Amino acid sequence: MIHAAVLSGFVLAVFAPAIQRRWPKAGSWMLSLLPFGLAVLFASHIGEEPVRESTAWIPALGADLAFRLDGLGLVFALIISAVGAFVLIYAGGYLKGHRHLGRIQCFLLLFMASMLGVVLADNLVALFVFWELTSVTSYLLIGFDHEREKSRAAALQALLVTGFGGVAMLAGALLLQQITGTLSIEGVLGQGETIRAHALYVPALLLILLGAFTKSAQFPFHFWLPNAMEAPTPVSAYLHSATMVKAGIYLMARLSPALGGTDWWFGLLVTGGAVTMLAGAVLAFGKSDLKQILAYSTVSALGMLTFVLGIGGEAGARAAVVLLIAHSLYKGALFMAAGAVDHEAGTRMIEDLGGLRGAMPVTAAAALGAAVSMAGLPPLFGFIAKELFYEAAEVHPVLLACAVATGILTVGAAGLVAIRPFFGRAVQTLKHAHEAPSSLWLGPAALAAGGIVFGLFSGTAAGGLVAGAASSVAGIPVTAELGLLHGINLTLLLSAFTAVAGVALYASADRIRPLLRPVVGSLAWGPAGWYDALLASMMRFATFQTRLLQNGLLPHYLRVTLGMAILLIGVALVRGTGPPQKNLLTDVRLHEAVVGILILAGAFSSVRATSRLAAITSLGVVALGLAMTFVLFGAPDLAMTQFLVETLTVILLVLVIYKLPAYTQKSSDRTRLRDAIVSVIAGSLFTVLVLGVTSMQLAPEISDYYIENSEKLAHGRNIVNVILVDFRGLDTLGEITVLSIAAVGVYALLKLRPHKEEPS
Amino acid sequence: MNGFVVLPLLIPLVSAASSILFWRRRMIQRWLGLSSSFLLLGSGLLLLYTIREHGIQAMQVGGWPAPFGITLVADLFTGIMVTLAGLIGSAVAVYSVANIDARRETFGFHPLLQVLLMGVSGAFLTGDIFNLYVWFEVMLIASFVLLGLGGERKQLEGGFKYVTLNLVSSALFLAGVGLLYGAAGTLNMADLAVKLRNANEPALVTALAMIFLTAFGIKAAVFPLFFWLPASYHTPPVAISAVFAGLLTKVGVYAIIRVFTLVFVQDVAYTHGLILGISALTMITGVLGAAAQNDFRRILSFHIVSQIGYMTMGLGLYTSIALAGSVFYIVHHIIVKTNLFLISGIVERRTGSFQLKQMGGLYHASPLLALLFLIPAFSLAGIPPLSGFFAKFILIRAGLENEEYAIVAVALMVGLLTLFSMTKIWAEAFWKPAPNEFGPRPVHRTMWAPAVALAVLTICIGFGAGPVYELSEQTARQLMDPTAYIQAVLGVSR
Amino acid sequence: MIYLLAVVIGGLYSAGFYMMARRSLLKLVIGLALLSHATNLLIFTVSGVSRGRPPLIPDGQALAGGVSDPLPQALILTALVISFGILAFALALVLRTNESVGTDDLDEMRTTEQ
Repeated sequence: MIHAAVLSGFVLAVFAPAIQRRWPKAGSWMLSLLPFGLAVLFASHIGEEPVRESTAWIPALGADLAFRLDGLGLVFALIISAVGAFVLIYAGGYLKGHRHLGRIQCFLLLFMASMLGVVLADNLVALFVFWELTSVTSYLLIGFDHEREKSRAAALQALLVTGFGGVAMLAGALLLQQITGTLSIEGVLGQGETIRAHALYVPALLLILLGAFTKSAQFPFHFWLPNAMEAPTPVSAYLHSATMVKAGIYLMARLSPALGGTDWWFGLLVTGGAVTMLAGAVLAFGKSDLKQILAYSTVSALGMLTFVLGIGGEAGARAAVVLLIAHSLYKGALFMAAGAVDHEAGTRMIEDLGGLRGAMPVTAAAALGAAVSMAGLPPLFGFIAKELFYEAAEVHPVLLACAVATGILTVGAAGLVAIRPFFGRAVQTLKHAHEAPSSLWLGPAALAAGGIVFGLFSGTAAGGLVAGAASSVAGIPVTAELGLLHGINLTLLLSAFTAVAGVALYASADRIRPLLRPVVGSLAWGPAGWYDALLASMMRFATFQTRLLQNGLLPHYLRVTLGMAILLIGVALVRGTGPPQKNLLTDVRLHEAVVGILILAGAFSSVRATSRLAAITSLGVVALGLAMTFVLFGAPDLAMTQFLVETLTVILLVLVIYKLPAYTQKSSDRTRLRDAIVSVIAGSLFTVLVLGVTSMQLAPEISDYYIENSEKLAHGRNIVNVILVDFRGLDTLGEITVLSIAAVGVYALLKLRPHKEEPS
Repeated sequence: MNGFVVLPLLIPLVSAASSILFWRRRMIQRWLGLSSSFLLLGSGLLLLYTIREHGIQAMQVGGWPAPFGITLVADLFTGIMVTLAGLIGSAVAVYSVANIDARRETFGFHPLLQVLLMGVSGAFLTGDIFNLYVWFEVMLIASFVLLGLGGERKQLEGGFKYVTLNLVSSALFLAGVGLLYGAAGTLNMADLAVKLRNANEPALVTALAMIFLTAFGIKAAVFPLFFWLPASYHTPPVAISAVFAGLLTKVGVYAIIRVFTLVFVQDVAYTHGLILGISALTMITGVLGAAAQNDFRRILSFHIVSQIGYMTMGLGLYTSIALAGSVFYIVHHIIVKTNLFLISGIVERRTGSFQLKQMGGLYHASPLLALLFLIPAFSLAGIPPLSGFFAKFILIRAGLENEEYAIVAVALMVGLLTLFSMTKIWAEAFWKPAPNEFGPRPVHRTMWAPAVALAVLTICIGFGAGPVYELSEQTARQLMDPTAYIQAVLGVSR
Repeated sequence: MIYLLAVVIGGLYSAGFYMMARRSLLKLVIGLALLSHATNLLIFTVSGVSRGRPPLIPDGQALAGGVSDPLPQALILTALVISFGILAFALALVLRTNESVGTDDLDEMRTTEQ
């Protein structure tokens, strides 16, 4: 069942462009039927026991395509499929007539299926697979407006930042496997105590949190999220507020029973969360672009989630789940409403908007409903979320203060996005605004209505859902008796204070916001600047390194290659070769010495020669010396061949040299001296190797076989020839092949020339 | 039964030899080349099947017993490599129909390709270290001629660097063979394994091992011996670059893995530790080199270097699972990298250039090409669930098991930087608006077909990672414990 | 004799490497040729040179001891022919490169790497 639920999205995605092309108007509505159906399917599971399904993938490595539907997965799956359905419809209206509408629907469906995979996977590898797929689809979606350079850069930035976290998370997951011996999430959760006591606990935790923090835009990795607003609004509403950015939250929530409850966990999550929620809230309040305000307030909300997960316990778990649901509802609605405004009025800057409620009543109502929830005012679901948030933060006054400060700023931001554009004096906008088509207001209206329903009937509508999910997060059964009124207590007083202070803040927004500008500048661009600097320095280093190594000069390449050979061989020799122990042939006879010196002299003079002919002659002398050596030591056949080959070589060389420019000295004295030293070192290594090998020589036993059997079995008296044609005939086959191909090569080189080049 | 072993040599040999009979009859040569490539693929599969069913296959050429004659021997590693050679040969032979111009075809492109494949297969099959040298030379001379075929200036410049550095490698290799024979008195690799097991001069043996590491390291293009590769791979026609990219360096990797699992295992802590270090540097320098490039094929060339590091990383870790990772990586890489080169050729046909600056607009103009690029590109970067992800996953797991955290970190970060490079190509060639108008240029279906086939294979390896891993794991076990190999070659267990 | 040959081999390698690192195409080819000579002599030397008789079996009688090792000779023969083929190709390449680039200076040959 779960397999089918996850995979169906992938299948439909393949056909989405065709469907969209065939039915340009109704296509989006048709596509949305699948996520609606999935939402209904998941909803029917509320309150039921967890279901597990598994298909083997690489069983030997413990990587299975395993899924498990439990309370936490259910909440996420519902959000993903329900919001997904509205977003598909919304995208159909928002991008009506766009040439790539089919593609965006395809990517959205791919994303939806991947995201369902993330939250339902019960295997860390499967989770990672879907996790990366969400990053990739996000890349393709942010870059949707691909002809703009800014879109491309934002897409890349999001991919690199989340990709960086992704690989860290993979390493962390594999460390967990080292600790627990399993990749099954259920199995990992069952060994919480072992994990927390293990020496690898802290590295594993850090790596996994790196994955979660980058994906969920926690400070200092938050900067990619506002930049991702380059994406079309349906994408922002879906990926970058309601679902994908919550994958990191999901991961932390999912693993908290195994990894949570330690000082490390508390310290990292609470600090990271607190900084993120405060910074996000300040930045949101300081921005003017509707989408930017919403993006930063999303960052802030993600910080709140991390914060309460860090606090943990029953209160933390409950707060996290309720915040999550409330945020997905109101933020999805607000994004879509903002998109509708942009679509109809032609701008998203709050300074240029105002009084649209007359022209766009439905959108205005939806936005207002959602914003009230965002501000945490009763009777909406956001109010309950904020109550629980404060309740969880009561563990320490400082944390509580942070929470309340965030709450106040959030009220201000909610006012900016929902009151500024729709109320007050009507402003002349770029386009003449009128109500958006139904496809554009259906989503925001439905989600905003959800916030109201969940708020008014929280006990019945959300109680079971929240209790199940919170139990998964806390690792123990958690009850959730949700309601708007819990009597007069600290949180209620703080809520009241928040509301009053928030309204006051909004009322004086025009005076305070300009003051925020320097803060906004430094906070917003600090970490983003680090990213740019890191990327730039990486590129500088890459260029520098490539210029240094791959500079196009063959002599340089040869020097480095030779240097490496010297290094490898020399070090190995120095590591422990003794002096040669025994030698087979140490005495030297005079004529042998003469031959040896002849070879050396030939080599030396071929190096020193100043004319080409002299160099070639010296080379001939070397070859002659070699042939004589062969004669002296029982190899007349070899000597003959050597002589023959050398004659041919010299003829060829002489034919060639007169087509080449005369010898000149091109390198400086210093270069030549350096090369000479390096060459002599390399040569000496070979001397040492020869001496070493001859001293350790084992009896050449296989040769005796040839001597014995050459005539007997192979019927030949010239043993060398017999070896060549019979014992090792395959070598000779290769040799002939080389010669023939060389002939083909010479022919082709001389005859086949590019058209433009005239043969000289 | 084990006559199969010689087929991968015989098929291309017969094809090449008959092509010489039909010199300048390019249609006949083309059909000879095409059919022989597919036959090679078939023989590889047959060989692989036989090895899986009946164990390691050995054949004493000419009937001379080992170690006196030359033994052809095929274990799973050989079977996999020969199959891949056939696969890439077939893909490129089909691709070349529209990619290689008539003049190059007339001057023997097809027989040259077959000789190249013969040399490659020979290198995989031989159990004799000198014979390995001979096959290396066959492969080299064929690659020299292919690289220079056409005689354009850039080909000659690139070709010269390629030839020179590879000849240095050959000279070192040959010297190493001579020294090894001097030390152990035999050339048969299984026999060498037995004889060197109790060598009285372990340090000297290590020094010999280093000669081979250098020689094969040049062929495999590891740090800092890779210069010839980025200097030349972007100069010939795409079909030629593609077959080089897919196969040649991997023969070097094969040779390194073969000798450092069979022959040189005396001082594993030192030699394999060194290989691990070289692997890390290879990955890093390669990927940074790619980041600095703006030519489609040159980016890909530097990535070959970087990827070689992953393949040798498994050897450096030297456990079953790590070597299985290497084998998996090789399988994945050969397919994906060849495909990326093939795709670069299609892109060039569409936009008229290999320079990223000159490209653009393909995302809109050719959605199929966009999809076709994304599959191998994301696979190369290790995005799941494509083949490259599992290849990296296995290696990273193996690294963590060995507690080699530094190499794991490098492998992960290099994966990310690979993604960076691939998105650079994507953004420039596909997303960016086209800088200048290019009309509708049809690309012949013989160029599409192999690219599509290899992309499908990439996806299949991802989804079928289980069976592929199982095969890699069996292969790795054969490599880690060469007893069966030695027994198959020498006939008796020593 | 081993010592002398070892030094000669070392000398040949040194000369070969030095010539290969020069900027002229022709010098590079000479370096390659020297390298190939050095390697052949190395194979010949390390397999145990002896002042033995050539490995030829006289007519009608068995071969007594004291024969030099035939196997390295066979190897060198193969290597000689192979390196000749490759040298011939390399010379053709030198010729065409010089013609096409218009110089034999390797420092001028970096147009493909910029």
